[in-house]
Amino acid sequence: MTISSFEHDVIIVGAGLSGLRVAIELCEKFDIAIVTKVHPLRSHSVAAQGGINAALGEDDSWEAHAFDTVKGSDYLADQDVVEILAKAAPGAVIENERWGTAFSRTEDGKIAQRPFGGAAFPRTCYAADRTGHNLLHTTFEQALKRGIKFYTEWFVISLVKSKDQVCGLTALDIATGEVHGFTAKAVVLATGGFGRVYGHSTNALINTGDGCALALRVGAPLKDLEFIQFHPTCLYGSSILMTEGARGEGGYLVNAEGKRFMEKYAPEKMELAPRDIVARAIQTEVLERRGFEDEYVHLDLRHLGKEKIMERLPGIREICIYFAGVDPIEEPIPIQPAQHYSMGGIHTNKHGETPVSGLFAVGETACMSVHGANRLGGNSLLETLVFGRVVGEKVGEYTSSAKQPDKSCVEEEAFKMREHLQTLLLHEGGDSTANIRETMGQTMDVLVGVYRKSDALEAALKMIRELKTRFKNVSVGQSDDKFNFALVRTLELENMLDLAEVITMGALMRRESRGAHWRLDYPQRDDENFLKHSLFTMVDDYIKTELIDVNLGKFDVKERTY
Amino acid sequence: MMFRIARSRDGRTITHYDLYKVDIKKGMTVLDALFQIQDRMDPSLSFRYSCRGAVCGSCSMLINKEPRLACRTQISYAKSNDMKLKPFSAIGETPAGWNPEVEILIEPLPNMPILKDLVVDMTKFYDVLESMKLWSDAEDGDTPRSQTPDERKKVERYVNCILCALCYGSCPVNAEKEDYVGPAALAKAWRFHEDSRSLEPERYTKAVKRPEGAPLCDLIMNCVKACPKGVAPGGAIRKLKNL
Repeated sequence: MTISSFEHDVIIVGAGLSGLRVAIELCEKFDIAIVTKVHPLRSHSVAAQGGINAALGEDDSWEAHAFDTVKGSDYLADQDVVEILAKAAPGAVIENERWGTAFSRTEDGKIAQRPFGGAAFPRTCYAADRTGHNLLHTTFEQALKRGIKFYTEWFVISLVKSKDQVCGLTALDIATGEVHGFTAKAVVLATGGFGRVYGHSTNALINTGDGCALALRVGAPLKDLEFIQFHPTCLYGSSILMTEGARGEGGYLVNAEGKRFMEKYAPEKMELAPRDIVARAIQTEVLERRGFEDEYVHLDLRHLGKEKIMERLPGIREICIYFAGVDPIEEPIPIQPAQHYSMGGIHTNKHGETPVSGLFAVGETACMSVHGANRLGGNSLLETLVFGRVVGEKVGEYTSSAKQPDKSCVEEEAFKMREHLQTLLLHEGGDSTANIRETMGQTMDVLVGVYRKSDALEAALKMIRELKTRFKNVSVGQSDDKFNFALVRTLELENMLDLAEVITMGALMRRESRGAHWRLDYPQRDDENFLKHSLFTMVDDYIKTELIDVNLGKFDVKERTY
Repeated sequence: MMFRIARSRDGRTITHYDLYKVDIKKGMTVLDALFQIQDRMDPSLSFRYSCRGAVCGSCSMLINKEPRLACRTQISYAKSNDMKLKPFSAIGETPAGWNPEVEILIEPLPNMPILKDLVVDMTKFYDVLESMKLWSDAEDGDTPRSQTPDERKKVERYVNCILCALCYGSCPVNAEKEDYVGPAALAKAWRFHEDSRSLEPERYTKAVKRPEGAPLCDLIMNCVKACPKGVAPGGAIRKLKNL
């Protein structure tokens, strides 16, 4: 007999840094498993370049790190959560160093730290410009050492609830095309961000926000989805990330007139102003016809010299050569802003608990919120490791006292999902997945980008809802059961369309400019009405919106200048 | 540009090659071409992908008989054939009908069982990481360990490995000897052996001395030529063999 369903105490969805760190926390005491749509080493954490923040320096302090993070967030971060992040940062970096990560070093053997945008101290620990790669491979090695169970190349289709409590999920085994149920006392979503909602994104092609869409459909609210980070320096054409570390090491931003234009926008911090400010500066230069080909500006590293580029930024150089035919030792790099990070995500408290019993979220999937309206570079790798541990502890507590999950519910749902996929695969004559995905990406790039305004957002919302209607009859095309990536990409598109709608609704609702969310028609921050988190809950088939308070208390809310 | 792509619906063997005409734009990669085919012509074409930026190691395949990452290979560059590998059957024999002048040939990475089209079974490649215990044993502690830039430099080349398996797919020994752990695992063992922080470096050398480890390597150095990250596993294996 073939197994039709699996059972574990805890199922973690996603095997990037967050998912692995949760698993490591829980694996000794509980029967856990990670379900992941790609092999763990292919997770997007691997692509993080610049570094991980921790106040290790003698002059630095966790309070200074927390303050920079809160100010960088344009005061929308929850200050109690930021406190946990900043206090636990040195411990998280040290833990991974002891696990084997080869951090770059100072001459006297300490972990080297570089300056990053929005930070008062050189606080960003790094392993050349491959910090995420090093942390992910090391953390995966530690997961292997602990014998953690992986279901690799399984795509989660739905979460299952029984009497208001999550009791498992259903997933497609990509290798066979079969759908199976997984019963669990707790489910932890660690699926990363949803950058591929945009056409231009630095994100891996797999970053389709699956966890957020799953949570939304099972009644868990999403939070602050309108806050999308646009990274200022992405390679023109492919949108591959050029780390902030390139500016941290002294790189210049130069317009077509040959001027370092940041002096106009952030005279003190110049190129190292926070990402939202630099992205808007670049966009403004291009819109005001001071860009190259009306599309991009230059990131110039030439004055750093060959030696420094080869030592500190070798990965960047390699990407430039292979993907743009430019050697940054000889020529400036053509760059433009592109979607980079999702500050918003599944609404959780500081322990990763969602309002739905048994459902947890962590990392970029979650919104706790440590990044508020704008994330500082070096804080996202940190979030995964710190909160992987914190959320793991809480999941353990919950699981110890949780009642036995309802297996029959999971099997019923798996039966329903098999029918659902069958129906989807039989559609003929509708629009193709690729057409809908491309229109969605262009719509989000143009109408819900760095600069936003009411009429454009209204048009975007109309288009996305039309695409959702068209998706109902989407044509996946003829394929096989085994490794049907056309089906996987269609299911991912379904997830992204839900998120595109919520992002746009949030952007419309927030009639102010804060952090990464800039409204041309409301260019001021409005603390009286919008020093609030936005919350989106699916009720039947519409999205309920509300605003909830931000946890303040440690730092006074001030104007944000650099 | 025409693409001739190996197909295998049920796995195990290449059953036939399909020919597709791809619209080329400047800057396009082989991975972009594969997506154009899957999106616009043939949704049944299966291949792995993730980062599209040459850091995740998912899209390893044989491109014009050379093992490469599809995302890092510009179409304009695909025909350069400059790897100069020592041939073995999978990279030495060309399929009937292939015209290298006008067609780019895409096949699954050799030396691993085909699961479907360009998707191969990497179980063995991954399993040796576990059986050789390729991880650090350090105990918990409250302080980072010290390491000088020079000490770090000794392992830097090896920590850059993305485990894409191009070395494994390019190795004539892996082609012949099923049990050979392959270049990547051996280079990783050397990485831990050389790390100034390792508590028991001999543990890793013991692991590579097993019969299916370093002794099987013939120092052919295809791995050094195929590696997209300059890891040069062959150099590490030579040192391991000399220990």
